[in-house]
Amino acid sequence: MTTPLLDITGLRVRFQGADGRVVTAVDGVDLSVHAGRILGLVGESGSGKSVTSLSIMGLLPKDSAEIEGRILFENENLLSVDEHRQRDLNGHRMAMIFQEPMTSLNPAYTIGEQIVELILRHTTKSRLEAEAQAIDMLRQVRIPTPEQRFHDYPHRLSGGMRQRVMIAMALALQPTLLIADEPTTALDVTIQAQILELVRALQEKQTTAVILITHDLGVVAELCDDVAVMYAGQIVEKGAVEDIFNTPQHPYTVGLLGSLPRLDQPQGRLAAIEGSVPDMTKPQTGCRFADRCPFVLPQCRTQAVPLQAISATQSSRCLRAPLERLVA
Amino acid sequence: MLSVILKRVLQLVPTVFFVSVIIFSLQHLLPGDPALIMAGEDKDPAVIAQIRAQYHLDQPLPLQYLYWIKGVLHGDLGESMRLKAPVLELVATKLPVTLQLACMAMLIALTLGVSFGVLCAVYKGRLLDSIVNVVGLVGISTPNFWLGIMLIFLFSVHLGWLPASGYVSPFEDLGQSLKTTIMPAFVLGNAIAGVLMRHTRGAMLQALASDYVRTARAKGLYEHVVVIKHAMRNALTPVITLGALEFGTLLSGAVLTEQIFTIPGFGKLIVDAVFNRDYAVVQGVVLVTATTYILLNLLADLGYILVNPRLRDE
Ligand SMILES: Nc1ncnc2c1ncn2[C@@H]1O[C@H](COP(=O)(O)OP(=O)(O)OP(=O)(O)O)[C@@H](O)[C@H]1O
Ligand code: SF4
Ligand SMILES: [Mg+2]
Repeated sequence: MTTPLLDITGLRVRFQGADGRVVTAVDGVDLSVHAGRILGLVGESGSGKSVTSLSIMGLLPKDSAEIEGRILFENENLLSVDEHRQRDLNGHRMAMIFQEPMTSLNPAYTIGEQIVELILRHTTKSRLEAEAQAIDMLRQVRIPTPEQRFHDYPHRLSGGMRQRVMIAMALALQPTLLIADEPTTALDVTIQAQILELVRALQEKQTTAVILITHDLGVVAELCDDVAVMYAGQIVEKGAVEDIFNTPQHPYTVGLLGSLPRLDQPQGRLAAIEGSVPDMTKPQTGCRFADRCPFVLPQCRTQAVPLQAISATQSSRCLRAPLERLVA
Repeated sequence: MLSVILKRVLQLVPTVFFVSVIIFSLQHLLPGDPALIMAGEDKDPAVIAQIRAQYHLDQPLPLQYLYWIKGVLHGDLGESMRLKAPVLELVATKLPVTLQLACMAMLIALTLGVSFGVLCAVYKGRLLDSIVNVVGLVGISTPNFWLGIMLIFLFSVHLGWLPASGYVSPFEDLGQSLKTTIMPAFVLGNAIAGVLMRHTRGAMLQALASDYVRTARAKGLYEHVVVIKHAMRNALTPVITLGALEFGTLLSGAVLTEQIFTIPGFGKLIVDAVFNRDYAVVQGVVLVTATTYILLNLLADLGYILVNPRLRDE
């Protein structure tokens, strides 16, 4: 297999709280994304999905976050480059769109200006050329009358339109990696499908790799090539989308799929599974899912549980995998 | 946009009227009969009656108000009974002094307050932040008169660099003028700088933690562009408004500071007028200050609308 575009190994992120408590938000994540593919990153709220993606972009608060591990992006370890280099990559080679379109644009500048400044930052284009390109991008994200919208301030646009602007900005320079952190959660159901369709269309056209963070397994099934499932700061299962949906190898994934919304109801969210996430301020021994797991064994709580390959394309962090043996 | 400005200006009319009524009535609620004071030692009833007639003091109050306001609208603020000079003329000679002092103080306050506020926010929790915060707190809580006396002691008495008192107009001798005003301006600016610094720091911290700043960083913009173009632009609008209001209070005359440095500004004029029951002067000065304050408010408002795209639409 070719070298991945993004290759994360042993990523660990700790937050030093003001009260002196240390939260380990991400604890040993290994994850890779191949060029041009879409990876779905799913998992309960607080499992560390956003923290993982912010680490890639170098956007975690420097004073409180302590990051360990290695993030190879285009063969460069992002955790050892200086801030200057990271900013050269941001917006240019990799881009991110966020959950909150209403607040993600600066209210004081027109949307045109906000796209133009990105182009001017990373290219040698003139302002005039940058403006033409920005308008072209607005057209590509299907904003009507882009020449006029170019001069609008964000408050004039709806949430869906603003998210289109964010996408236009993110993809303006054809990055090789796009991180979309729940890009449609804040939007109307009818708009959600349009935005995702737009991301997919542009992704195909530009052959951008995408990390799509979502709570919607229907969306994952429809859009993604690969899936990684996070639980309490760790990847508990990853694999090709068919593997995960057909033969899930971690009880947590099984739980999530048990409540998979039917495909004709795309608004469905992840299932609520009995119990709650372990306290991330305490060191963990054994499987983090043990308290909620129907298949738990005594050794699950005492023994370290590594992420193990089940097949060429799938791995699971469960002592009892493959699970087929249990249900047979 | 134009209609917004017009609306704001029209909204001022009742405010100004209300203020003028208050100024007028306060005067007449004060004890003491100005006619008696003016009539001098012998208090000749005929003279008193004549003074009353001349200044319309024998008319009912609403009529007196009308006479007064009619004069005001024609640029006639009355006459100082004590100095035997038109109030307008007194105001015109003192206002530039106070204005100069206020401008210099504001310049000092904005420069110190905004730059240190921004630096503190950017270096939050570091040594610089702590030092500036402590210095700022000391600055706010230092009484003006004490700081003034200390400055005089250091720069005039001890080092002999600056004159301890007096005032020279910048049109006469700019260098000398700056020398006579720099200490009082610093005293006045210092207190405001602390307030502006805290507001700037707070607003900047909020802006730096905002989603649009995260977007700006995700776009790869340089950190100084993120701070100056994206965070400051939004954080400073309320700070500028606050600055305008502080400027307004500076105009009402820094009574104490002007006294310490014997600067012949509004502060001294109004204190002298109050002690001598020089009604017309008090009324005139208060009216001018209040109007300027209201106008500054309006300017701050309009400036706020100008930099706030959302408000511009309304
Ligand atoms: N800046 C921060 N300071 C301290 N703790 C943080 C910070 N950011 C995130 N955390 C903590 O890290 C953990 C993981 O958060 P994260 O935002 O990655 O979750 P998530 O998987 O994205 O959840 P959601 O689905 O709700 O977005 C949470 O416990 C959160 O409280
Ligand atoms: S390791 Fe044990 S507790 Fe953890 S998921 Fe597997 S079976 Fe359940
Ligand atoms: Mg998140």
